Amino acid sequence: MLQYSYRPNPPPTSRSRRSADQSWLDYSPIVGRPPIRWPNEARVALWICPNILYYEYAPTPDPWVNAWARMTAPDVQVYGRQEYGARVGFWRLLEVLDKHKARCTAVVNSAALRMFPDMCAAAVERRWDFVGHGQYNTRFVYGHSPADELAFYRDMLAEVEDRTGVRMLGTGGPGPQSATENTPDLLAEAGFLYHADWFCDDQPFPLRVRSGKLISVPYSIEINDAPFLGVAFEADQFADAIKRQFDMLYREGAESGRVMCISVHPPLFGQPQRVGYLDKALEYILSFPGVWQATGAEIAQHYMTHHYDAMVAHLAREQAGRP
Amino acid sequence: MSEHDLYDRTPIVRRPPLAWPGQARLAVGIVVCLEYYEMQPPADAYQPVNMPGGSGRGPYPDFRTYSHREYGNRIGIFRVMSALERHGLRATAAVDAWTAGHRPGLIEEIRRRGWEFAGHGQTVTQVISSEMTEEKERDYIRSSLASLEAACGSRIAGWHSPEYGESAQTPALLAELGVDYVLDWPNDEQPYRMRTAGGPLLSVPMAVDLDDVCAHWYRRLSMARWRQSIADALDQLLGEDEAGGRMLVLNLHPWLIGQPYRATYLEEVLADLRKRPGVWCATAGEIAACAASQLDAR
Repeated sequence: MLQYSYRPNPPPTSRSRRSADQSWLDYSPIVGRPPIRWPNEARVALWICPNILYYEYAPTPDPWVNAWARMTAPDVQVYGRQEYGARVGFWRLLEVLDKHKARCTAVVNSAALRMFPDMCAAAVERRWDFVGHGQYNTRFVYGHSPADELAFYRDMLAEVEDRTGVRMLGTGGPGPQSATENTPDLLAEAGFLYHADWFCDDQPFPLRVRSGKLISVPYSIEINDAPFLGVAFEADQFADAIKRQFDMLYREGAESGRVMCISVHPPLFGQPQRVGYLDKALEYILSFPGVWQATGAEIAQHYMTHHYDAMVAHLAREQAGRP
Repeated sequence: MSEHDLYDRTPIVRRPPLAWPGQARLAVGIVVCLEYYEMQPPADAYQPVNMPGGSGRGPYPDFRTYSHREYGNRIGIFRVMSALERHGLRATAAVDAWTAGHRPGLIEEIRRRGWEFAGHGQTVTQVISSEMTEEKERDYIRSSLASLEAACGSRIAGWHSPEYGESAQTPALLAELGVDYVLDWPNDEQPYRMRTAGGPLLSVPMAVDLDDVCAHWYRRLSMARWRQSIADALDQLLGEDEAGGRMLVLNLHPWLIGQPYRATYLEEVLADLRKRPGVWCATAGEIAACAASQLDAR
């Protein structure tokens, strides 16, 4: 099911941030870090992320990403498959999330809240948190000037706050992903506390930004049905992955707290042949004591309050001892 | 134009329920695509980049991809027909104009079984897209319907575009040319009304993740997993409190599902389906007509 492809020429970049390693985070292995303690001695902070996304039927073509790669837009097969989420899938998924009283952080395109007011109302009614994912899943920030990109995030923040009452503290890149070299700096400037595009850790960690503070809160590209169900895998294997991911993180979380993210997409996991497997996986995870059902904002705020400074000092010690 | 205004976006939980005959909880339809894959389509013909079959679309003459797809018309369709017949099921045959014109024996086999016909374009290698002018698309649809009507001798009520390819004008052109329902928009579990510049049209969505091309070809699921997915879908749909007149329309392509080993799984899927109470097995056209009468009365 082909959705996106990159066009042949990449967006322009400056060389200002280029170095032997990237310049946004220090290498810091999991061993030797100051331990993380979650509230109530929880071992795992669990954030469950239903995606509320909106794909334009026939968007203005983007110079860097082809949002409708299978065929010239409209592609009613792939558009329809996505739209199934708002019309049908979300509501079936919601029954399972409600059954487990899941505390959710919806990954949102701000325009999806406008286009699908029923989904927005259902999320608000349940006091879900929100994490940004751009305005439309068919609009990207590649090639944006810093001023345009900052305005893009501010517009997204304002629309989400206007429709939900929630001032978002975190975001990932718009579309399947998209960013510029300025993105982390601009996110801090726009008032975000965390960035959800870094898949290199099981714990939050500080990101280096020009001014202010920004951390990573681990979202998942693995426990995420969209890539998972891409080729060859199905819902039973996703449920097995959720359980095993949890078992490992729970075991390790006895020493130092871990974050587990479950990302689900209503067009995919709201299908009737799949939803029951999520039900069973959640039942398993939530039967354990020591699971903190948290939101993205709660994880980020807890980390900032209790662990950020200790980790910054630890990183400085690691850097000082490194050749 | 980034959006369309073809239908209301009301989610399924906010709509009045639909009722199926015999108080059935679920309607199940099967669409079988009979399509001709041209070895050398016209120079201006459009195809999606990931055209299924063979090893992908190769330079002319691509014997392998042509023949992989042509297997459906020589062998696969007969296996699919006999499996459906054994379980007392009739399908909707989506037949393209080339096949209708050149394979009268196939048309006769379909008629003899009492299946219904739906339009399916000219050939599967001439896909509708917004690269096509409106004038050309109108001719394309009109002549596709005319060829199929001439071959089967009855009016064509349904349409499924080759490879689910549409332009922004397709629903309006279908309505204008007298089509009642379209199968291309896989966004729902109920039929729903479309309003177009050409008049009203009914959308009858198919379950795209269970479509054999999507499940077996694009997603490379094992056949056992596909069989299980359909059983899981039926369990869920039949077990839900507010069934509300939902449906599951399965789209099958004989070049793929008609392969000997795959067809054994189809037989098992159909046997499982027929064991379940509360299912109304119907053609897409019967489901469309049943839903249309209720939607129009609202």
